[in-house]
Amino acid sequence: MTSIEQNSSASPQESVLAIINSKAPFSSSHGKDALDVALIFAAFEQKVSLFFQGDGVYQLMDKQDGSLLGIKDYLKTFSAFEFYDIEDIYVCQPSLASRQLDEDFHIDDVQVLSSIEFGLALNRHQHVLRF
Amino acid sequence: MKTLAVVITTPPYSHLTITALTYVEAALVAGINVIGVFFYQDGVMHANENISIASDEYQAIEHWQRLQKQYQLPLHICITAAEKRGIACDAIDNDKINKAFTVSGLGELVELTTKASRLVQF
Repeated sequence: MTSIEQNSSASPQESVLAIINSKAPFSSSHGKDALDVALIFAAFEQKVSLFFQGDGVYQLMDKQDGSLLGIKDYLKTFSAFEFYDIEDIYVCQPSLASRQLDEDFHIDDVQVLSSIEFGLALNRHQHVLRF
Repeated sequence: MKTLAVVITTPPYSHLTITALTYVEAALVAGINVIGVFFYQDGVMHANENISIASDEYQAIEHWQRLQKQYQLPLHICITAAEKRGIACDAIDNDKINKAFTVSGLGELVELTTKASRLVQF
């Protein structure tokens, strides 16, 4: 993947891609599609960060099982983030608060950020994709 | 030189696709180097050879074909997203995929993202 590294125009302090997750996990395939993009970037050793905002915060809630709906439970794959070196996982605090959700996540090392911090973190990325 | 890559996630009948096409064509006309368009999620429906949109509707697929031909604009579809939607991509001489499109994977999206000065998603 040297050609990609050479062509990367991201400066060292800047991550290549931010992925914003804005949809609830099981009513559409947006969450799974976002996950696939995140894992492929990580597999190509491109720095990728995950942002959870709006109904997207439901993707991080503990004690869910998509298989009860007959859906492949892609949320289980979140536990592989560490293996893929996906370390920057941010969740929007006001999105949790407005849904009366506790910080009870099914993965570790999730950073809960205020709106301003969330925006600043996003700004450290060269590209953004939203699902 | 500034380079642009575009991600399309909307199907051919979406109004957002019209906006995307207008945007991409304006960029090409302005001489911006559009290094590729990546069709993901419902965007892959553009490559379905069996789709025929009613003649009084916007012909998004024809417009993509035209841009591809006129500007040699690379149009990539995500194979996983296509197969998930029932568009078989495995045959060698495939008559189910519109010839203007190239069957690619998400690795192509990584390539486009890292090469582009700017990535725009529709």
